[in-house]
Amino acid sequence: MDHQHHITPLSTYLTIAATLLFLSGVTVWVSYVDLGAMNVVIAMLIATTKATLVALFFMHLLWDDKKLLTIFVMSLMFLGIFMTITLLDTEFRGGVNPEVKNPINKRAAFYDSLPLTDTHGNPVDKHGSSHPEEDEDHH
Amino acid sequence: MSHDNSSPSFLQHHFHDVKQQYETSKLGMWAFILTEVLTFGGLFVAYVVYRSWYPEMFINANLLLDVNKGLLNTVVLITSSLTMALAIWAIQKKNKNLSLVMLILTFILAFMFLGIKYLEYSHKFEVGQLPGEYYSYMGPEIAHINNPHIFFSIYFMMTGLHGLHVAIGMGLIGWLIYATAKGNLHSKYYTPMEMIGIFWHLVDLIWIYLFPLFYLIG
Repeated sequence: MDHQHHITPLSTYLTIAATLLFLSGVTVWVSYVDLGAMNVVIAMLIATTKATLVALFFMHLLWDDKKLLTIFVMSLMFLGIFMTITLLDTEFRGGVNPEVKNPINKRAAFYDSLPLTDTHGNPVDKHGSSHPEEDEDHH
Repeated sequence: MSHDNSSPSFLQHHFHDVKQQYETSKLGMWAFILTEVLTFGGLFVAYVVYRSWYPEMFINANLLLDVNKGLLNTVVLITSSLTMALAIWAIQKKNKNLSLVMLILTFILAFMFLGIKYLEYSHKFEVGQLPGEYYSYMGPEIAHINNPHIFFSIYFMMTGLHGLHVAIGMGLIGWLIYATAKGNLHSKYYTPMEMIGIFWHLVDLIWIYLFPLFYLIG
């Protein structure tokens, strides 16, 4: 009555993990090379390769009943539909009437009341010197 | 349906046999993974929409994140995925102690991930790189850029929901350690370990996308 589970060999797990770590290094390295619009494409290709390895080997989909792989791929297909139809709206706003596109590119109003800060987030006065602790507000 | 004396204690009465029980668990788990993909999917769609609206702002705001901490967390999470897989491998090979060691390692690595995330978050809270209206950082490298608060809204929502999954995963792995040590999980019945393993690998899989999308733009 004991059904046979597939036991993945240890060497497979170690090889996959090593490949994933290697690809993580590659994706960081390639992000410092300026390839213009190709940067994001390459980053997503590497991420998808890694995700495929995780799904097939760590999540065992390669050996499981293919209905499970189908469920997983279906979820990604529906995500694709979700994304495509949303982008069909958001990417083409303003195509007919350019005024419609304008509000989303405006600077949010609350930035007008924000003081400039240094790299530690402390307010900087107009002369460029910062005085974090002795701010008037603290008295 | 009644069972004869030979049916194992872990077989629940409403299942015909062990194989059916196992396959039902697995189908249910993958249905859950599908809902997880769609949950995170909404946030990925928000990311894509706003990045296409503010390509320059995303590149500039991205430079405020710490790539080293992001890469370190990637290594930690991939290693924890490996130790999780090895915990299942060990219990399949009837090696309870190795399985326990691997589960405890996975737990520690998950804790490390959250620790590194805490360091990142606390720095952002300090300097005011916060979501929406709580945003107040106007440092020289970003002051001329429109609406970086949107980047941090999406960053905190996505890494926050992911971090919540890591925390839940830690709880589940903690329970696995208890159940394995007690002997409730063994080489004949380790379905919970396998299912939590699938959940844990999904957490890894989502981080695989979050890392380049937030830390490695441009």
